Amino acid sequence: MKKGYLGIDIGSISTKGVILDEQNKIINSLYIWTEGNPIKAVKTLLHQMKNSMSSDIEIYGIGTTGSARKLIGLMVDANVVKNEITAHAIGTTHFYPDVRTILEIGGQDSKMIVLKDGLIEDYAMNTLCAAGTGSFLSSQAKRLGVEIEDFGTLALKSKNPVKIAARCTVFAESDLIHKAQVGYKKEDIIAGLCKSVVLNYLNNVGKGKKIMSPIVFQGGVSKNKGVEKYFKEVLNEDIIVDTNSHLMGAIGIAILSHKYEDGKKRTLDVADIAFETQGRECEKCSNHCEILRIYKDSKFIESWGSKCGKVS
Amino acid sequence: MDKIKIGIPRALHYYYYGDMWRSFLEELGYEVVISPKTTREILENGCKCANDEMCLSLKLYLGHIHYLVGKCDAILVPRIDNYGTYNQTCTNFLGLYDIVANLFKIPLLTYNVDETHKETEMKAFIKLGMLLGKGKEQSKIAYFNSVQKVEKEKKKKRKLELEKLSSSKKKLLVMSHPYNFEDAFIGKEIKNTIENLGAISINANALIESNKNDYFEFSSSLYWKYNKDLVGILPFIKDRVDGVLFLSTFPCGPDSLVNELLMRKIKMPYLNLIIDEESGSAGMETRLESFIDILEQKKVR
Repeated sequence: MKKGYLGIDIGSISTKGVILDEQNKIINSLYIWTEGNPIKAVKTLLHQMKNSMSSDIEIYGIGTTGSARKLIGLMVDANVVKNEITAHAIGTTHFYPDVRTILEIGGQDSKMIVLKDGLIEDYAMNTLCAAGTGSFLSSQAKRLGVEIEDFGTLALKSKNPVKIAARCTVFAESDLIHKAQVGYKKEDIIAGLCKSVVLNYLNNVGKGKKIMSPIVFQGGVSKNKGVEKYFKEVLNEDIIVDTNSHLMGAIGIAILSHKYEDGKKRTLDVADIAFETQGRECEKCSNHCEILRIYKDSKFIESWGSKCGKVS
Repeated sequence: MDKIKIGIPRALHYYYYGDMWRSFLEELGYEVVISPKTTREILENGCKCANDEMCLSLKLYLGHIHYLVGKCDAILVPRIDNYGTYNQTCTNFLGLYDIVANLFKIPLLTYNVDETHKETEMKAFIKLGMLLGKGKEQSKIAYFNSVQKVEKEKKKKRKLELEKLSSSKKKLLVMSHPYNFEDAFIGKEIKNTIENLGAISINANALIESNKNDYFEFSSSLYWKYNKDLVGILPFIKDRVDGVLFLSTFPCGPDSLVNELLMRKIKMPYLNLIIDEESGSAGMETRLESFIDILEQKKVR
């Protein structure tokens, strides 16, 4: 029997799963869409991973990260629950110990991590607005009638990217409609969007930071060839995009679950567990907190959201 | 006859002058009614009164006024313009009286502070006392007594905040207007989150000393008084904390310029959080958690 460690990264757009062996090498990985239902996505993920996994592997650690980390952590009985930024930094330094700058654009947030000798030195993250992130690109792709997977390749065809304001999705959208109506080619508009994401990132997240190579670009948006190209062009530096760049969070959290292994064997058979959540607005005081109650097999296990801590 | 009740909204400049107003008005023999700590209901009522360009902090203010209507005889809404050249307040503070007078039908008490036109704070308070039918001398004494009392309180608060600096936990300096960070609804959650993550927050506002101000290290041309006061503490505090949290509400004009400037010059880890009406706290938690994680890792070196 071999020991395995599972990392699950549940993002706003996609859900990623990775199983590492004791040497932190990937034995299995999967990438699926979250589609607004993290519980269902993780059930599907675990089901598929279990079917494709060789039967001599036993899971001794589960880590969860990403925006649904808390919820899924409870569901799968995780031994580590950590935010995605830390997870990403750990994943990347595992593969690129010399990395100096990590550029990362995810579905709802973007961040920059500056490292020295494998340790984080500085860091920046976008504010709570999702401008210039993956969800911005996917909503624009929908508007243009293009699959998000083809976005980057189309952008590479363009020779004259149009200028688009990317500070705000609403302004970008009116820019985009205008450019389309006056007759610009679709690929030029798409290239313009990719470039605007880069400029927006460097202006918002990268302000005042020295970007030193080696530079690693990751997160879902790193799969977009157009954005990668414009990062190279604007920074005039080589950019590393790992083949597993979209899995770095899951890898990082799997490494952490290995590190903090508690000796307890875990199962991937959560597909049959009835895991339900129930949201309601508390009426006990004028704060009207949104309380989320979580049930496992119809048994209440935890609740979140109460500001006073007295209500569950 | 019952005492006249004067309402004070627990928002905006309550966090600068609340104690002063209370002490002054009580000394002159009035009953002071302070609106309760912010709740979601107060925020929602404030948003209903507000227009779309007002900042969240002003919306909160209007929510507190809304609460006070019918619970007091008059509400104190001062108009504070400046404390001298290059000591301007934000336009909201300047327009506050007119905004409230237009939105609510309730008697308002007001005073003007406009030092570039020789309207000092002391003069303003004496005028306010006289407006309430009290004598000039009596008002002046009430003012000075209140100033003394408030200064004592401030010193105490400052000392407590400075004591936190000796903690072995990670220290986050929160650069924020007190009406945001000290507010029970928007700021308290952030403070709690920081504490639950095993770090502590240092309230920059509590450290301000009016006679000490070294903002020149960052810019020689700042002119918003409240921002300038905050910037002024940075030189002496920044090496004693692990990171800086810039916390502002959307859309704050002065913060958007001053904080931007600081982020480019401060050369230490910082996090910028801008809060709006959203009720989900996941984004904020992720940012704070990762920021504190990073500070923890940095310390290991």
